[in-house]
Amino acid sequence: MLSASPYTRELINNKMGKYIILRLLQTVFVLFCLSLLIFFIARVMPGDPARVALGPLATREQVQELREEMHLDKPFFVQYYFWFISVLQGDLGKSLYTRRPVTTDLKEFIPATLELMIFSFLISLIIGQVMGVFAGYFRDSWFDNLFRVFSYIGIATPAFAIAIFFLLIFSYILNFAPAVGRLSLGLKPPPQISGLLILDSLFARQFNTAFEAFKHVLLPATSLAVANIAQEGRITRSSIIANLQKDYIIAHIVYGIPMRSIIFKYLLKPSLIPTVSIMGLDFACLIANAFLVETIFMWPGFSRYGVIAMLNKDLNAIIAVVLIIGVAYSLMNVIVDIIVSFLDPRIRLQRGGI
Amino acid sequence: MKMRRYLSLIIAILIIGFCGFCNLVGAEKIDENVVVINGMPVIQPDPALSMDWYDMQAVFNLYSPLVYPTPEGTIRPHLAQDWGVVDGKPDHWRFTLRQGVKFHDGSELTSEDVVFSMDRFITMGKGFSGMLGKVNAIAVDKYVVDFILEKPNTVFPEILTLFFPLNKHLVLENIQAGKYGEFGDYGENWLMTHDAGSGSYIMASHKMGESMEATRFKEYFLGWENWGPNEEPIERLKFIMETETSTLMLLLKSGQLQLEANGAFSRQALKGIMDTKGLHLNQVWPQVWTVWMNTKVPPTDDVHFRKAILYAYDYEAILREYAPFGAQETGIYPSTLPGYIVIPPQPRQQNLEKAKEELALSKYNPADVKVVFHYCGGLEAEEEICLQLQADLSKLGVNVEIVGPTWPQYAAECATPETTPNLTIFMFPLNYISADSFIYYMYHPNNVGGIYAAHWYEDEELGQLIDQSREILDFEKRPEIYRRIQEKIASQVLAFYPYEIPALFTSQDYLIGPKETFSVVGPTVNMHNWRINLTQK
Repeated sequence: MLSASPYTRELINNKMGKYIILRLLQTVFVLFCLSLLIFFIARVMPGDPARVALGPLATREQVQELREEMHLDKPFFVQYYFWFISVLQGDLGKSLYTRRPVTTDLKEFIPATLELMIFSFLISLIIGQVMGVFAGYFRDSWFDNLFRVFSYIGIATPAFAIAIFFLLIFSYILNFAPAVGRLSLGLKPPPQISGLLILDSLFARQFNTAFEAFKHVLLPATSLAVANIAQEGRITRSSIIANLQKDYIIAHIVYGIPMRSIIFKYLLKPSLIPTVSIMGLDFACLIANAFLVETIFMWPGFSRYGVIAMLNKDLNAIIAVVLIIGVAYSLMNVIVDIIVSFLDPRIRLQRGGI
Repeated sequence: MKMRRYLSLIIAILIIGFCGFCNLVGAEKIDENVVVINGMPVIQPDPALSMDWYDMQAVFNLYSPLVYPTPEGTIRPHLAQDWGVVDGKPDHWRFTLRQGVKFHDGSELTSEDVVFSMDRFITMGKGFSGMLGKVNAIAVDKYVVDFILEKPNTVFPEILTLFFPLNKHLVLENIQAGKYGEFGDYGENWLMTHDAGSGSYIMASHKMGESMEATRFKEYFLGWENWGPNEEPIERLKFIMETETSTLMLLLKSGQLQLEANGAFSRQALKGIMDTKGLHLNQVWPQVWTVWMNTKVPPTDDVHFRKAILYAYDYEAILREYAPFGAQETGIYPSTLPGYIVIPPQPRQQNLEKAKEELALSKYNPADVKVVFHYCGGLEAEEEICLQLQADLSKLGVNVEIVGPTWPQYAAECATPETTPNLTIFMFPLNYISADSFIYYMYHPNNVGGIYAAHWYEDEELGQLIDQSREILDFEKRPEIYRRIQEKIASQVLAFYPYEIPALFTSQDYLIGPKETFSVVGPTVNMHNWRINLTQK
């Protein structure tokens, strides 16, 4: 890593700070535009949310009363104004489907999906990167060939098909893991701190509960991780192969530096740069794409909630879900940029930290 | 060499870890006396808000209505032991409550709770409250309640099977800020995760979108008895909310799910269940497939064209695939209800010659018209009926366009006669135990339109007949007027009925029941109606 003077370091840190603030401001603007767009689309979509919420046997008067309560009888921009004011007060409205505040729904469902995403990410990170490094280093070996076949299958097979396969093999036939839900029947959940059951159980020193929660998250997280393992592993593999041809690596090899040092000290970091960008997007993707896996494993997550909201034209929930996904993508982009700039000093220094 | 060493090490760690993990993991052990029941993604356990059949399955366990449906299609005493009209007027009813009925918190149910619950039900204006209209409830004394109705309604007691009294004091102790003045939110938020009922089970927990658990209420006023040797009451219920067929099949076959109460399996899945040892299919409430024909848009505005559709459809084609379940629907409403008559044409068979004759009488040339047939997207059973009719009408040169919009769009389309497609399909269960449940909401001119009455046929004379049926106090005299109503409806050919099929719930063999099967949604899955044989399990 190139050394920098204290002056340069301060310059970089200030610029980095400014860069982060600028990106965050851009994110706010993007979210505002997104809210306007989805607000409009949700209202243009066919269907009367009041009628759907009250059912086909509700009287016309009941439907009209609910429409007035939801301001659906008012012009579009008036509706948006009411919504925007309430959002500024922290109120995302009431879900027509669950009949409770959307914020309550999000507080319950986001942690469930977050727990799934974190485990899926960890599984894909550990397994994908290890396999990618080995496949790249031992190129054209039997392991590399096997990995490439696995990666084709992993990328081509949809997550829900993998989920059903895992369910059949590991839960039904081998009886190794629970089939559905976040926790076993009769087990009392821990006091909620983060909403992540495993973490909350550890905080509460309920180790049995933590282990049960871990067992439950394993199959759905692995189902989601398979495609990412395949994709990220392949990128790492390609990156390793490309960097192995670089002059400085060849020079290190010729100098007799042990391969283990070369791999972990000189090869891995630059090889991870392209993967990190993809990993960030994959992580953000999970929040929206986990729907089918959540349905199969009866995982009460945000993604399933979002799709149900859309199918039932639950306006407030639809807007909240889309905004959350927007926030996830935006933040992940910022985080990935920061990580990449730390991994690659050229980006940090040549572009002044930007 | 080094690669092999690294790989061997990793593989060894994985194997050891996996083996160690396998020793510790396993599918969750279900407690002995717990029944897991499948529902839908969201259950609405507040009886003032519940409006769908899966909500009612939970509500009938947590709460008790004043009157209860019977398998014979009538009602019987439940929380109320007696009822009748005051001074012979069917707009003023008096109900005498059973004494000594306890709520789950041990307090006694009195008329004060009934009055509060009715006021709450009507004021909140959601769920099934629209069926009652405006009702003014008055506590005459501790165990007598009067209901003053907006209009005379002799089926009011039958509709009360959808009304469930709550514990007034418990609800008022837990109200939060809301729009109902001194009553705040009427306990709406609190009742999401608690119950204030007197039903056979007490809510233990409710995690929206995940599960609801309930424990047996040992002081339930109807008591608990074993039915036979080793056939015990179920101690704990868990309603789960899974919709994916493959997961449900796996849970049933592995014994992790005891009762599948969604009933939405495909034919292939049903065959799989029938072939699986240890599983049992229960025929629950009847469901009538109804294809409405919009009488306000061409070409279905022509009665002869509608008759042609009636004769053209092949009634046997799909029905034989559902054998031994399913039967030809022969009337306007389920045959289990009093007053039911068979309507022509009988037998229900495809008759292309007759269809051609009717087409010749119609003012439309088949080649010049298009019939638009919508179904609710994603429902395979509806789609196959659409495809069958499309194939049948193509033999007559009639073009049928099939579309499967999402539910919100489908419901919105039926809001006006112009936007309602020529044909719409829906499956209607009985909401309360009376022919009125179908007749009033499907054929009265005040209720035309919407999914329930997408035929848009308005007939004042029919409306008067239906109003008259709601004024006949003598239950024995109602079948006669229902007969006239059905004949009048049948003459207009407002719909055709592909088939009738009961809701099919799958249960494990060691789950004994249901003791009684009802024609309405909900009470069959009141688990007081079931027992569990732990020795068989």
